[in-house]
Amino acid sequence: MNYSFDFASVFRNFGPLWDGLLVTIQLTIAANAIGLTLGFLLALLVMSRWAVIRLPVTLFIEFFRCTPAIIQIVWFFYCVPILFNVFLGSVTMGIMALGLNLAAFNAEAYRASIQAVPREQLDAGIALGLNPFQRILYIVLPTAVRNSIPVLLTNGIGIFQQSALVAIVAVQDLMYQGKTLATQTYRPIETFTIIALVYFAVSFPVSQVVGYLERRREAMAS
Amino acid sequence: MMSFNFAIVLKFQEALLLGLWTTLKLTLICIVLGCVLGFLLALARASKSAILRGVSGVYVEFFRGTPVLVQLFWIFFCLPLILGVELSNMASGIIALTLYMGAISSETFRASLKSVGREQLDACVALGLSPWVRTTSVVLPQAVLRAAPTLLSNCVSLFKESALVSAVGMADLMFVGQNISNNTARPVEVLTVVALIYFVIAFPLTRAVTVVEQRILKRLAV
Repeated sequence: MNYSFDFASVFRNFGPLWDGLLVTIQLTIAANAIGLTLGFLLALLVMSRWAVIRLPVTLFIEFFRCTPAIIQIVWFFYCVPILFNVFLGSVTMGIMALGLNLAAFNAEAYRASIQAVPREQLDAGIALGLNPFQRILYIVLPTAVRNSIPVLLTNGIGIFQQSALVAIVAVQDLMYQGKTLATQTYRPIETFTIIALVYFAVSFPVSQVVGYLERRREAMAS
Repeated sequence: MMSFNFAIVLKFQEALLLGLWTTLKLTLICIVLGCVLGFLLALARASKSAILRGVSGVYVEFFRGTPVLVQLFWIFFCLPLILGVELSNMASGIIALTLYMGAISSETFRASLKSVGREQLDACVALGLSPWVRTTSVVLPQAVLRAAPTLLSNCVSLFKESALVSAVGMADLMFVGQNISNNTARPVEVLTVVALIYFVIAFPLTRAVTVVEQRILKRLAV
């Protein structure tokens, strides 16, 4: 192979890549804010006694979990403006699409850990005279959130990776800037390698933290 | 007021079916190759040689820590430059998704290999079985059985991720759908139908995961 590498060409264009990374991080944080709160709400609704509430929410969750994220994003960008006659900024649209996707996945994580909250604790809550809202706030929420932290972190970092998909609908995130740069400089190997390393540098530490939390939990359980 | 005309999608059913066929073909090939790769990687990660462990560990972490889209772009644009050969779209797609499937399924196999008791390996030594026989006749069947539910959900993930190849111009279901939607200017109908096609395939599979899980738990409990 006679290809001379020129990584310097990537570093010369540090500015746009940095801007792209900031957009990616913004997307990730905002989507996680939606995912963590809406996800919990969905988890409560999906366990509702009334089928009228349960069925549509289940359908929503399963739909987001069983279709490719890329079609959700493309659908969102093309169809929401037509259907609801709203035109939002592309980053806002990206945040909403990723946030809804994450909410569906987080809802499953919350549901599993809510169901793992022992029945007796809820009975104790009734015995103490707490109303349903207080029972959720003081008994279910703290335990369920703590138990689902590893999965929530994994999902959160998953959405950081999935956020690269918005580049397809021309949101100027890290992936988009990388793609543009690769075309402009004719340096795909260097550019895509650096982009991959940047994503990796953010994901890897988080996945190590998840591994540590899981090991600690196993050690505590045994 | 807008009006919807879902009948328009029917006119393109042949194109969509062709796209679906590409998606399914790609997914199936990558599942088979990826599972083999994943099993070998899981063995390498548990091996005595530090080099094997190191290389396989870095590989798996890297592929799990970067967006699949970046991996795809890397393989589509950089691999041909490095190898100096022209790769067809299909070949690049297969390579990219197989490498990804290998990484995620190796984690699944690793967890299930751990659950094969130490005593069984000792028994193999006592019986004088060769490492090959030990791996194929004792470890593999048990590991596969325990890994089956997670492996199946890995397959669903792969099926969904396969939609990404549309971003590099492979004519899969997503690509065909986007093309039709752009040409007919009817994104709502076309994209919704495409999403439903993905859903109709992925949803029963996720249900199957639950069923398989319960069956295997029952079998292992006996």
